[in-house]
Order: sequence, then structure tokens, then C-alpha cells
Amino acid sequence: MFILKPHSGVPIYRQLSEQIRRMAASGQLPAGTELPSIRDLALEHAINPMTVSKVYSLLEAEGVLERNRGKPMTIARVARAQSPAAKRVQQLEPQLEQVVLAARQLELGETDVTKALRNTWEKTDERSVRRRTGAR
Amino acid sequence: MSVPYAVARGLGKSFYGKTVLEDVSFDVEPGDIVGVLGKNGAGKTTLLELMLGFTPPSAGSVELFGHASYRLPGSAKARLGFVPQQDELVNPLTAADQIGVIASFYPRWDDALVMRLARAWEVDLGERIKGMSVGQRQKLSILLALGHRPDLLILDEPVASLDPVARRQFLEQIIDVAADGARSVVFSSHIVSDVERLANKIWIVKDHRLYWQGDFDALKDSIVRLHLRAPRGLPDSLPIPNALTVQRNGVAATAVVRDWTAELHHDVADRLDRDVEVEIEPLTLEEIFLELHR
Repeated sequence: MFILKPHSGVPIYRQLSEQIRRMAASGQLPAGTELPSIRDLALEHAINPMTVSKVYSLLEAEGVLERNRGKPMTIARVARAQSPAAKRVQQLEPQLEQVVLAARQLELGETDVTKALRNTWEKTDERSVRRRTGAR
Repeated sequence: MSVPYAVARGLGKSFYGKTVLEDVSFDVEPGDIVGVLGKNGAGKTTLLELMLGFTPPSAGSVELFGHASYRLPGSAKARLGFVPQQDELVNPLTAADQIGVIASFYPRWDDALVMRLARAWEVDLGERIKGMSVGQRQKLSILLALGHRPDLLILDEPVASLDPVARRQFLEQIIDVAADGARSVVFSSHIVSDVERLANKIWIVKDHRLYWQGDFDALKDSIVRLHLRAPRGLPDSLPIPNALTVQRNGVAATAVVRDWTAELHHDVADRLDRDVEVEIEPLTLEEIFLELHR
């Protein structure tokens, strides 16, 4: 469900919380989706259970997740409505920084990068359209 | 707040007038997984042995479950599990006999758990310890330390001789121990990637002291590498606070900084020329460890 890289330099709790936020905001994890238990997620990725519980509590406080008595945590019903585009863009910040960093090393300008971004955007758009129509 | 399982204050140890460890203070809370890192000879094993009460402190104190660890009563010992660097297995015994001997000391021995793990870890219970490989001995030692479901598990280089599959099985077992938030693990390891996965607290032993200790996430956030770039050339002096290292390379420079914060970021930006760009790169635990030992 999640892609966690313990050796990436970015703390695991941040990788996990950003992914859940992103997937909830985009609707990839629709409201009501059940999340794995702390123990299962920790075992699956071989990470500290406290890290998972920290992330779950943090996202519960933010309103992204809902705690249900004796049942798995779920994506909150209001998660999507609560995050306007500007807020969701913030969650892209780490990836954007990576791109900008790489672009600078390659001595590319802002216009080159925006153009490339638009290309990639359109390409993946076509691909997902094709996949969607192909599936029907 | 929960009561810490282990508390040290000003703990120190000297052998024949030579300081091996000094001024160590820490708390281990229920649910903590503490990763202990340090170069060979930094004092990790001495630190763990002081915790276990194998040797009395020369200064300060260390308590487990509220008792001085050097004079631990039986009730507290029953809550403690440990895997020493050199195993203490009895060569002529079979694995099953050795398990029986250890189990007899503990009223709370969980034989079902031990049998299940022995099967999963491929420890042959009928085999004599004398004929076992180093890896098999290590697995058996870990089994023996887990059997009485200790509240505090202390392991000194527990996985040095394990293959990647066995190491992952070991990690899963540690997660299982810590998952309910009521039991704690302190383990030293040179396998930084394991520590990186599991630990929520890090202790770095360096120059006979606890050089750095704290939340792992805080450590990752507080030590970063800065990349400075100025197309028109960098100024002659780079006033970077808390810099551990600064390396210049033409129009670019890198600096590793400790105690990094958002304020420090503004501070650096203010002190440098406007056309110096500053990028922040997070570091892996291995990189942090290496940077702290330059």
C-alpha cells in the first residue's frame, strides 16, 4: 500500500504521513478505507511500531484519519473537503525540491523544467486515459 | 507519563584508572527501541554491561525497574532479557536441553513461543551446541532471551553472524516485542540499516561518552548537509553556524551542520549574500554516523 524507504534520509514517519495525506487528498484512498493495524504495517515494512502509531495519531489530529473503537483506522470522511488545492500542493513540496535540485545540477532553467513537467503531465495523462478506456 | 524501565545518571566506568565511559545519563521508556551505535572500542559493550549489572559503576548510577542494576532482585531479573556479544551456551548440551535449563529459572516461560520461533528460525533442537555454526548459536541465544517475555531486552550485536533472512526474522521478532508499547529493546549493532528501520531512539557512543542521544527523527532533522551555490562565486568566508565540516569546490560548497532548525536556515540565508543558493539535503543514519566521526 505504501512505499517506505528507511534509508532515504527522510524520517520514516514523514514518508508515511505524507503518503497517507496525499492518497487521502487525491481520493486514491477514498473515505472509509481501512488502514492496516499498527502491528501489521510495522511488520510488513520492518519498521518501529511507535513510528506507525505516531503517524496515525498525527493524522487523526489533522482530521485525515478516523479512529474507530476496536476497529481499524479509516480515512476520514471529510479528508478531501478539508484540503483545498493550495494545501495539497504543499504536500508536493519535497518532490518539487528534489526536481529543482536535480535541475540545478543539470544547469537547467525554470522554463526548461516547466516545459518538461508539462510534457510528462500530458504523457501520463494520455497513458491513464488509454488504460482507462482499454479496461472497458 | 510512564515510569522508565531504565534510568542512568552520571554513569561512568574506569578499569585500572582508564576511563571507558563517563557521564552517561539516559531514560528508556516502555515501548522504546533504542539503537546503540559506536565505533569498535567506543564503550558500547561496557555501557550495556553496566545496564545489565555485570560490573559495578565507578561513578553515577544505573537502575532497572527502580533497582540498582548491580544489585537486581530476582523479581526484576525475571523482567530482563539479554543477548551478550559472546554467547554463554553450554557446549555439550543440545539446544533442547539448554532451553530446558534456562526455562527452569523462569516461572513465566513461554514454551509455545520458543518452539514456534525455533521452527521458524530453523534451530534444530536435537543438535548439540558444540556442533552449531556461529549463526545458529546466535539464533539460539536470542530465543533464550525471548522465552520469558522480558519487559526489557538488551542485545549486544545480536545479528552480526546472521544472514539477511535470519536478520529480517529477528527484526520482526523485535517489532513483535515492542508492538504493544509495553516492552522495550536496547540493541547495539554495526548494521546501521537495521537500526535505521527499528530504532525510535538513538544513542551514539563516542570518545567514551554518550555523544548524541535522542529521538531518531530529531537526529535526522537536526543533522543535514547544505549545498551552497553562487554562480558569481562564493564569498571568501562562509559563516555557517554549527558546521561540522565545510568543503569548497569552486562555485559550490557543501557543509554538514548539526542542531539544524528553521531559524538557523534563516540565519544562514541572512548571513550569506543574496545570490548564494542554499539547498538542504537530509542524510541517512550511516552518513550521519560517518560525519560525526570525521
